[in-house]
Amino acid sequence: MPSRNLGIAAIVIVLALALLPLSGSRYALDLSTQVLIYCLFALSLNVLIGYIGNVSFGHAAYFAIGGYSCVILLTTYQWPLMLALPAAIVVSGLAAAAIGYFCVRLTEIYFAMLTLAFAMLVWGVAFKWKDVTGGDDGFTGVLMPKLLEDHANFFWFTLVSVSVGVALLWMICHSAFGLTLVAIRENAVRAGFVGVDTRKMRWAAFTVAGTFAGLAGALFGMYNRGMYIENAFWTESAQVLIMVLLGGIHSFIGPLIGAAVLYLLQIVTNQYTPYWPTVLGTILLIVVLVLPDGLTGLAKRFRIFSGS
Amino acid sequence: MTKRLLMLIAGAAVLAGAAVAQEPIRLGAMYPLTGGGAIYGVPAMAGHQLAIEEINKRGGVMGRKLESIERDDKMNPSTASATMKELITKDNVHLVVGGLSSAVGLGMSEVSKQEKIVYISTIAKTIQMTTSKLHPHVFRTASNTDLEGDTMAMLVGKYHLKKLCHLQLDYAYGQDLEIGVVKALPIRAPDAKIVLTLKPKLGATDFNAFIPQVMAAGCDGVVSGLWGPHFVSWVKQASPLGFFDKIKWISGGEIAAHEIAGELKGEYPDNVISNTYELWYHSIDPLHKTFQEALAKKLGTNETPQWAMLGYNGVMFAAAAIEKAKSLDSDKIAAALEGLTVNTPVGKLTIDPKTHQANTGQFWGPMVKKPGKDYRVMEPVEFIQPKS
Repeated sequence: MPSRNLGIAAIVIVLALALLPLSGSRYALDLSTQVLIYCLFALSLNVLIGYIGNVSFGHAAYFAIGGYSCVILLTTYQWPLMLALPAAIVVSGLAAAAIGYFCVRLTEIYFAMLTLAFAMLVWGVAFKWKDVTGGDDGFTGVLMPKLLEDHANFFWFTLVSVSVGVALLWMICHSAFGLTLVAIRENAVRAGFVGVDTRKMRWAAFTVAGTFAGLAGALFGMYNRGMYIENAFWTESAQVLIMVLLGGIHSFIGPLIGAAVLYLLQIVTNQYTPYWPTVLGTILLIVVLVLPDGLTGLAKRFRIFSGS
Repeated sequence: MTKRLLMLIAGAAVLAGAAVAQEPIRLGAMYPLTGGGAIYGVPAMAGHQLAIEEINKRGGVMGRKLESIERDDKMNPSTASATMKELITKDNVHLVVGGLSSAVGLGMSEVSKQEKIVYISTIAKTIQMTTSKLHPHVFRTASNTDLEGDTMAMLVGKYHLKKLCHLQLDYAYGQDLEIGVVKALPIRAPDAKIVLTLKPKLGATDFNAFIPQVMAAGCDGVVSGLWGPHFVSWVKQASPLGFFDKIKWISGGEIAAHEIAGELKGEYPDNVISNTYELWYHSIDPLHKTFQEALAKKLGTNETPQWAMLGYNGVMFAAAAIEKAKSLDSDKIAAALEGLTVNTPVGKLTIDPKTHQANTGQFWGPMVKKPGKDYRVMEPVEFIQPKS
């Protein structure tokens, strides 16, 4: 699809979503807010998986760092949102840079295991640092700016933040930097030979991914009015990974679709049965066996098949 | 013609009005139904359903049926918060009951605070819920860590224990119970001294690093918050070493429940003094018999689990409050709950209007062998209830 059409489509979707509060349904609003947050979270992970070909098993760490930083700054230190949100994004970006510095020294499975280890370390800190994070009681009682206490306002705020996040990620992924990442994914050795500092590039990509995950986490913490250590647990990292796989890693919008579909499916399933993990397992099986390119790959194949 | 049309409209309006009056009262219920918490969550949900069935059989509340909308809280506070929000915004529940772990209870309480919907916490014991994090819409019908710690300290005094080893799981419940015990010891058992405190992890199964430390410390008593599977693992690893021969094990966490006695059977050790909310073989109120028989029928076993009563009582309080408030307005239900007294299978319970905590008592006593029974029973049974 030419990028101009895509741009128009994106603007139409955002505008259509902006009208959602008119429906008057609190439920639709809450659900859309959550889906938007997870879309951004999944998209940020795909910078690593789709563009550079590095699978991270610990992406929830940056989501949690962003979330905890934002709610702690808002509540414990009573910072205004104008400062707390950017600060939370910076903190998660710095954390991703620090952790990424070590992780990018490794590749493939070793890289994945190290990201997992660091993420569990973040989880451990959230668990043990009870005075600051509330430990396993969770951090609750978040002080929200008056304006954002209204659900429609918060939805719009999320919509704008996520849209800006997605637009920035689009620009990053389609810049020379993004293309360099693809080159590294395709052949790291050759990319190195043409003069690309692959380690530095991967480090930068890791930081970008963590920063945007931090934004998603900060929005989530505010939406949820609390952060819990479960948000940093490896199961959360696994969930976002499955979102990306389901949507399709070789497409920019794949993770957005994957996140929306998986999250909504989970919500619907939970209304009928507690056996969501069984459903999730089946989905994963199908994705791995028949949909290696995810839902976007399926759509592409369908288009080729139908000859249009 | 016009007249007939008017009558038709009037008739339709009456019918519509009746339909509105018939609309059920919706109760949201959340317990862990899968994973590690399910062994408690499933019986609690069974008790919850039993109460709903009973109330509907006798005509519902304010002439309206109760509808129970049940969800898995997955023992995950983040999931539980999202699920509870969904119950409120999508299913329009009038009240929410449940929650098992302390973290989930606090998370649900937070949603209740934001959405201004009454939440009755039926199992979570963390004291914070009714102290530092108390708000107008949260109520607790479970016991709490301060009450439990106080009773444990009282038992330390009763058995004249001097040197104590303190075992608590390293998470919310264990930390709060530890505070409860330590706070009460100087008052209840001034002679007792804690010489060793150990904190195994939540979900730990290997206690081999801890058992010798406790044995070497020379304690005459252990105060413990190791519940359920933790206690079972400790017993299996410590009993062969003669651990329980010379030590009194005073424990919270309802390890005197028949679920544990029935699981450990002959392996249940000597010298254990613990608590439970309910004992299927011991009645202190006429209501208990009918409750227990109905539960036994529902679950298909006479040896019913104690967790069911917690789910049951939550619904009973909710129904009584709505009946008293004569309204589904959250503020009115909350006002009705303050000071409300309800007949439960363990007697009358009252919610304190200030702390929002019910004066829920527990059965405490030593677990002894009885001829002809392959499981231990509590004897003598003492029902310890806080003053309301």
